[in-house]
Amino acid sequence: MLRFLLSRVARAILTIVAVVTFAFVVLRLSGDPALLIMSVDAPPEAIEAFRAAWGLDRPVWEQYVRYFVQVARGDLGQSMRDGRPALAVVMERVPATLALTLPAFALKLLLGVPAGIYAALNRNRLADRLTMVVSVAGFTVPSFVLALLLVLVFAVQLGWLPSGGAESWQHAILPVVTLGLAGAAVLARFTRSAMLEVLGQPYIRAASAKGLPWRRVVTHHALPNAAIPTVTIIGFMVGSLVAGAVVVESVFSWPGVGRLLVVAVANRDLAIVQTILLLIAAAMVCANLVVDMLYGWIDPRLRTARMAGAG
Amino acid sequence: MTALLEAEGLARHYAVRLGGLLGRRGVLRAVDGVSFRLDPGRTLALVGESGCGKTTTAKLVLGLVPPTRGTTRFEGEALPPAGTAAWRALRARMQMVYQDPLGALDRRLPVVVQVAEPLAIHGGLRPAERRERALAMLAQVGLPAPLAQRYPHELSGGQRQRVVLARALILGPRLIVADEPVSALDVSIQAQVLTLFEELQARFGVAFLFISHDLKVVRQVAHEVAVMYLGRIVEQGTPEALFGDPAHPYTRALVSAIPVVRRNRARVRIVLEGDPPNPIAVPPGCAFHPRCPVALAACRSEVPVLKARGDGRLVACHLAHGEAAARRPAA
Amino acid sequence: MAPQDAAAAVPSAAAAVEERGRLARALEAWPPGVLLALAWIATMLVVALFADSLAPYSFTALDLRGRLLPPVFMGGSWTHLLGSDELGRDVLSRLIVSIRMSVLIAFGATVISAVLGTTLGLLAAHFRGRVEQVVLALVDFQASMPFLIIALSVLAFLGNSLPLFVALMGFHGWERYARIARGLTIAANEQGYASAVRQLGAGPARIYGVHVLPNIASTLIVTATLTFPEIILLESGLSFLGLGVQPPLTSLGNMVGYGREYLTRAPWIMLTPSATIVLTTLSISLVGDWLRDRLDPTLR
Repeated sequence: MLRFLLSRVARAILTIVAVVTFAFVVLRLSGDPALLIMSVDAPPEAIEAFRAAWGLDRPVWEQYVRYFVQVARGDLGQSMRDGRPALAVVMERVPATLALTLPAFALKLLLGVPAGIYAALNRNRLADRLTMVVSVAGFTVPSFVLALLLVLVFAVQLGWLPSGGAESWQHAILPVVTLGLAGAAVLARFTRSAMLEVLGQPYIRAASAKGLPWRRVVTHHALPNAAIPTVTIIGFMVGSLVAGAVVVESVFSWPGVGRLLVVAVANRDLAIVQTILLLIAAAMVCANLVVDMLYGWIDPRLRTARMAGAG
Repeated sequence: MTALLEAEGLARHYAVRLGGLLGRRGVLRAVDGVSFRLDPGRTLALVGESGCGKTTTAKLVLGLVPPTRGTTRFEGEALPPAGTAAWRALRARMQMVYQDPLGALDRRLPVVVQVAEPLAIHGGLRPAERRERALAMLAQVGLPAPLAQRYPHELSGGQRQRVVLARALILGPRLIVADEPVSALDVSIQAQVLTLFEELQARFGVAFLFISHDLKVVRQVAHEVAVMYLGRIVEQGTPEALFGDPAHPYTRALVSAIPVVRRNRARVRIVLEGDPPNPIAVPPGCAFHPRCPVALAACRSEVPVLKARGDGRLVACHLAHGEAAARRPAA
Repeated sequence: MAPQDAAAAVPSAAAAVEERGRLARALEAWPPGVLLALAWIATMLVVALFADSLAPYSFTALDLRGRLLPPVFMGGSWTHLLGSDELGRDVLSRLIVSIRMSVLIAFGATVISAVLGTTLGLLAAHFRGRVEQVVLALVDFQASMPFLIIALSVLAFLGNSLPLFVALMGFHGWERYARIARGLTIAANEQGYASAVRQLGAGPARIYGVHVLPNIASTLIVTATLTFPEIILLESGLSFLGLGVQPPLTSLGNMVGYGREYLTRAPWIMLTPSATIVLTTLSISLVGDWLRDRLDPTLR
């Protein structure tokens, strides 16, 4: 188990290094940041001073090392719009994004998992067919279309909810629902197939053949085993949640990290963009680590198997 | 006469990770010092349990994997490294037949195209001629023209093996290595295919290195048989001598396991005891001694050498040469 | 009933049963949903190919007197079948041109992604060792980050132009082709037709070109039907945010983004492109599932 954890942590660090390298390479590919940021007609001395300040006059490998040191210190440059430290600008948006994504994540789980289990237990009946139709719609309808449809119905036609902004908790309802519904569809479909796979196993037939009540077979034998593959996809879902937040925050004018990213990309505010990139990478890596640990916890068989396999 | 194929002290070791937190490393001695020669137009059979190194020996002989030690000479020349142009050109003279003919064929192409493929690879002929030659070769291995257009999965196991043989033979090779060519087939089909091997040898003068775990199969086709145990040859001789009077205790056990038809010739079956062989932990001395019913003290410490007995047979056993008995007082 | 009548009735009844059986078999092989989806995809391809002749107006033509006209199904006139926008541009014409743009981008990107991923997968399987480790690390990296974020970063750093945008979309999903191509090729190389052909003396070009690629093509095509709709969603999402296709060019996502401003006054501007996106992704997913069942039951 220790070995397994260590290899996972090493992998996580490797991913972070890869993302930092990626940011560095793309940043350098983008041309001369001095000319990008300062206007072309800026005085040459100012450009030289800027270059020296950012270390742009050094050899590339040195820039790369300096870049790593800066990132490790949390110094991610200043926002090119108002000159404030990028990290501070981004961090003050994080609570707003969490206020959307955490409830949306809960909604996903609460809708998707039970729907998937229910559909699997009632395979090929109306409930199953209906769940599957809804879930197919859930991942072919883009989140911006879903968001606009919800606005059209609940804000414009019915006038029940505000269509954008973040003044009260009511403002959060439509964005959370938009984010949660799309993910719930994918999760329901996945849970259903995981559950169906488990229900087809011989040990389930054996358990019900020896006279266990069906309810107990499901809760004690089927669910724990179906949980194993489902946990894996939850790691993926964090990624889709982050991507979804970018779109949904923009549609609903929600002052979170996602909207900040879109604005920063449009203005080519590179310090903000790279900060958000690294932040999301860190979040993804943490999420995957948590999933790996959950995995080992749910499936003790895997723990020992991994050890033997890695040994 | 120069040998067609000459293996000299061939060995192939693999590094493996054993279990445990630190991942101890071990050495798997798949083949550990094998020597033999095969003359043109003859058949040498390699027999032994699974894991004894037969298949690795086949790969070494074909130059598919490089040996850790030792050399292979084909028509007097050392084998070029796998994948080089010289190695590829040599494929026209040495070919292979597989245990699983369905896996060895591309399931997306009609078999006649696949039989013609070596001609396309090694060049020279127009497509129509290639096809002509392929159909002729398929007829030689007993596959009628109407079947030539079929796909591999539309043929029976025996027919597929005929296709693989035709593909191997079409360039007129001197040597064909056949790795368990009949063990996936029904017994009734096995006999037909084995007869085909003999006919093809008579017709084309091709030599076979025939690998099998089945002594009955080997007895029919081989001119000479080498018994392998844990990466080494323990006994080698003509099938009549080997099966009539096995010298090595391991060969004796194998031979005793062949079912006999006539009751009055029934043999006492020798059942081997002890652990099945593990090529990662080869016992010291004679590798067979933990399972040997007649092992002596010397067998535990000294590796017996494969050498000729008076009757021309090669045996690697202290007892069979009478050495161990002579030395017993000293041990 | 006379006996001969009964005798005559039996074969016809049998024929009817057989007829029904054939119909059922045909329906099973070609489910109506899949047929509809194929028809829709064909329509989209025709629209994309003949956009210029199909569009009733130029997609940039202004008609300041005919602004925000509703479509026919909402009580509008036949001059603007799907209505007009704030600048009096014909929505149908813009839709047709947008379909061409979105389909072209998705098509180009899918080809790039498939070629890139398959090539890397084959290289990893052929060379093993270092090369394989590098490819696997890249696959891991790609799979561990949401691609939208990567795409946004690249657009921020490198700016936006149509070729760059298509190339960027082509990086979506390559890791799946790479994984599949690597896995299947290693299997074929270790025990199977590929090693047999190698042992015949064939060079890499023949092994991969004639044998391995055709054998794994069906799995790769199924994978493409799964990534194609994702690329459409990605492209339209970025264009919706104003970070994808730039005006005066237009794609389905641009139209939805533009229509969002007129959600209350002219919802039709965003409804038709939205419906087109949904129907197209849905159709390709349906066809993809169906193809997967038919061609490659081993894929999950």
